[in-house]
Amino acid sequence: MKRNFTALSLAAGLLLAGASFSGCKSNALSPSVNAAGGKPAGPMKEEPNVAFKDLHGASISLASFKGKVVLVNFWATYCEPCRTEIPWLIEFQRKYASKGFSVLGVGMDDEGAKVVQPWVQTTTFDVNGQPTLMDYPIVIGDDDIADKFGGLWAYPTSFLVTRDGKIAKKYIGMIDKEDLEKQIQALLGS
Amino acid sequence: MRKRVQIGCMLAGVFGLFGWASITHAQNPPQPATSVVKPHAYVSLEPVPRGKEFEVAVVVDIARGYHVNSHKPTDPYLIPTTVSPQLSAGLQALDTIYPKGKLEKFAFSPDTPLDVYSGSVTIFLRLSAQANTALGSSTIPITLRYQACNDSACLPPVKVPVDVKLEVGTAGAKARNMHPEIFAKASENSAK
Repeated sequence: MKRNFTALSLAAGLLLAGASFSGCKSNALSPSVNAAGGKPAGPMKEEPNVAFKDLHGASISLASFKGKVVLVNFWATYCEPCRTEIPWLIEFQRKYASKGFSVLGVGMDDEGAKVVQPWVQTTTFDVNGQPTLMDYPIVIGDDDIADKFGGLWAYPTSFLVTRDGKIAKKYIGMIDKEDLEKQIQALLGS
Repeated sequence: MRKRVQIGCMLAGVFGLFGWASITHAQNPPQPATSVVKPHAYVSLEPVPRGKEFEVAVVVDIARGYHVNSHKPTDPYLIPTTVSPQLSAGLQALDTIYPKGKLEKFAFSPDTPLDVYSGSVTIFLRLSAQANTALGSSTIPITLRYQACNDSACLPPVKVPVDVKLEVGTAGAKARNMHPEIFAKASENSAK
């Protein structure tokens, strides 16, 4: 009886310990959680079938980015944490575009392009000491688009998408720059 | 041997429990924007006699870990906290008194402080009930607009209703002072 109980405790403990260590491991293609308490992406899902409008009203589909690693970044002009990470995204766009990476910024202000366009055209960010505009593709989002990504409750929220259109990671809140860069490098290399 | 196995089981159990706690912590449910702020409104007099000035206090309780922009945020693109009453005939708005915000730095803005409200703040509306105000009970619909963030993410701006019940009496009616603990703060820390 005592032996059975001992064996059962050992098995349960090892099972839970294994789960905890797999959650701690940093793996480029495993779902993970950012410091702000974002949710794991779970087993890799297909990116949603969604078309956006850019700042001039032209249609851009997410599918048109297939073949590239894409960071779909939902942000808003009133969101200070979004503004903190934008220069990092500009940096990654410049550094990795030639290797097949792109940021896709989705502006979520309720007023849409009316507010986002002038803001994007006039707001500069310090990128390596230089005042720089957002120079990656910017599109306009809305509630329907948010629903297609499973619903968004906060900004920034970002989805890292593989070359074949799978969502590798989801970040809720400001990204960890170092972690994101490692994930981008891993996906570009794979 | 038996003792080593028993110690091993205990350690595995401890690590397992720790792991379970990590997984649980990582899956905190999201909070909708309307749930991080709880507003309540109060009237300073009962009844409010026709011809008299009175106040409405909108007490805004902000959930721990969150803040909202003050009425005068540091950047024009930031969404200020505002209160907008819909006044029926006879009721006149005289002034809205917003509290001063606090300049605070956050992890996402370590160099630039933001002018914010956190904890509990009170916004006062100074109103008057003119001679033609309808007598009896009514409601003043009030809309509170705010945009909340924690230290790493922001919730969308929202408008929430904070209606307040009002009793209007005849000119010269004897009025009781209501909620003195709230309205005593009207002259403290006010900012326009």
